[in-house]
Amino acid sequence: MSWITDEMRGIVGQVMREAVSYPIALSDIRKWAMAVYWPEPPPRQYWDEDYAARFGGIVAPEDFNPFAWMAARPTPDDPPISMSAFRESELGVATPDYKAILLTEIRARHGAPMRPGDVIRCVWKITDYMEREGRMGLMLYTTLSQEFTNQRGEWVRTLDSVFARY
Amino acid sequence: MLDPNRLTIGDEIPAFCREGTVHHWNRYAAVNYEFAGHHWDDDVARHEGFSAPFAMAPLLHAYLHAMLRQWAGPSARIDAVGIRLRSPFLKGRSMTAGGRITAVRAEAGEAVADLELWMDDDTGARLSTGTATVAFPG
Repeated sequence: MSWITDEMRGIVGQVMREAVSYPIALSDIRKWAMAVYWPEPPPRQYWDEDYAARFGGIVAPEDFNPFAWMAARPTPDDPPISMSAFRESELGVATPDYKAILLTEIRARHGAPMRPGDVIRCVWKITDYMEREGRMGLMLYTTLSQEFTNQRGEWVRTLDSVFARY
Repeated sequence: MLDPNRLTIGDEIPAFCREGTVHHWNRYAAVNYEFAGHHWDDDVARHEGFSAPFAMAPLLHAYLHAMLRQWAGPSARIDAVGIRLRSPFLKGRSMTAGGRITAVRAEAGEAVADLELWMDDDTGARLSTGTATVAFPG
């Protein structure tokens, strides 16, 4: 028995999804930093414009997600696409029938910082499938790769997320 | 204040500790639109084979960034952070993250450090391992 079909192998490397963020709001950066550092106050560079000016201005924490809640594209009335998970059916391939999905590994490489006003474009691709026995039986591991660039075409981040499905 | 000229292989960075509560996780859910039931609902977590709800993987990844930022200071550049999750950070437990410098080099006028990272809970279970690269502009 295998989770991986020939059709699934055929979509590896294909663009699954593209999104464009709204301009990043300073308030979103502040809230993100507050949430991550809570209950401590976040570093001043994420919320104090006068302090941050000596380092070139406020930047978002490297792990900031500019696509949370809503994106400029796709819009909320586009066909519903989860922004936090994925389905092979987005590329016309049957999605495996799984009971649960877990994020097991994240690899991030960071480039240009995200600043207030930046518009971020992201492209999603499935870049790898593999499977192995785990405590829940045969588990399917899928690497979802995201490439982030900004409105100047600068590389911002590459994020590889490995999901286990069982 | 960290002196980038004194980075030494084997040095450990200050630990980063957090409690495993929905008060912490709700805040992250709110900013990251991350509301999967296994992060807050006991029944959903049990249905998926876990003894309790558990923290979101991106939050743990963010915690590693926060630990590195608190150590490296505002002008450092966090170039890469990876995390491999080994056991869930369960509700009711507490977590301590740490890191150790594994390599130091000079690149284009910057001091660059590679680190190995880890997270353990208060039972001694290793929750995750990871790696990072941090650059210190000259």
